[in-house]
Amino acid sequence: MSYKCSRCKRDVELDEYGGVRCPYCGHRVLLKERARDIKEVDVR
Amino acid sequence: MTTEFDVEFIERTDRNARFLVRGLTPAFANGIRRAMVADVPTLSIDTVRFVENSSVMFDEMIALRLGLIPLTTPLDDFELGDTVTVALDVEGPATAYSGDIVTSEPGVEVADKNIPIIKLNSGQRLEFEADAVLDRGKDHAKHQGGVAVGYRHLQKVEVDGDLGEFDDEEPQILRGVIETEDGELIASSEFDHDLTKLYPGKELSVTDVPGAFVFHVETDGSFSVEELVDRAAETIGDRADELKNAVAV
Repeated sequence: MSYKCSRCKRDVELDEYGGVRCPYCGHRVLLKERARDIKEVDVR
Repeated sequence: MTTEFDVEFIERTDRNARFLVRGLTPAFANGIRRAMVADVPTLSIDTVRFVENSSVMFDEMIALRLGLIPLTTPLDDFELGDTVTVALDVEGPATAYSGDIVTSEPGVEVADKNIPIIKLNSGQRLEFEADAVLDRGKDHAKHQGGVAVGYRHLQKVEVDGDLGEFDDEEPQILRGVIETEDGELIASSEFDHDLTKLYPGKELSVTDVPGAFVFHVETDGSFSVEELVDRAAETIGDRADELKNAVAV
């Protein structure tokens, strides 16, 4: 799962043992990156 | 019952009209109104494929806004369920307007070009491709071509005499269109909806003219008022034919 650290803006890969923490700066607020694929939405 | 319809336009612009029809029953007038709202199909965005949306709004919220943007609909060229591809690509800092949408069909374009979709900051971008589908208002309100459709009885105003010397002249508020004793049609907006401004110091009686209805029709820009009324009448005719065929079988 790809996230971005909200403080140092680096890409962060999370694994299930590492917990929610940036490995570069230790910040605990991570933002989830939007997927690159095309998203289809029904207008209903 | 055969009746000759008599139609007279009181106001007329491309998207907005007020017209009088004589020789209608209330049921038929309401049938026409309902057909204009629910039965005449228009193109509207139905599926959106977001390539990029880094704006502050969710894809679903932008999609709902897109569905409400009116598209011009040449009804002769399309059948129910036909699709037209549209697309938009705007990068901030800018506001994405409906006018930025491009379509794959030359006859189909955005009816109002100045509808804001979303304000984009620097670094934000909105790019999508979407399918506009021809469908009816009864399936979804975004497909309603007639957005403000209604009717009232034509009202005849007769002067019964002068007001008494000591009688109070109270405002006589009325909305719609009146027919004077000379047969002249006057929209109530012309006298500020107050009959005492048109007939000061007179005693008046107002009665509904039987079988005469004043329609007020406004379209969303998908087509002209004339086309909306024509197509509405056509759908009623088509359904009457369907019933006739079903009974004959």
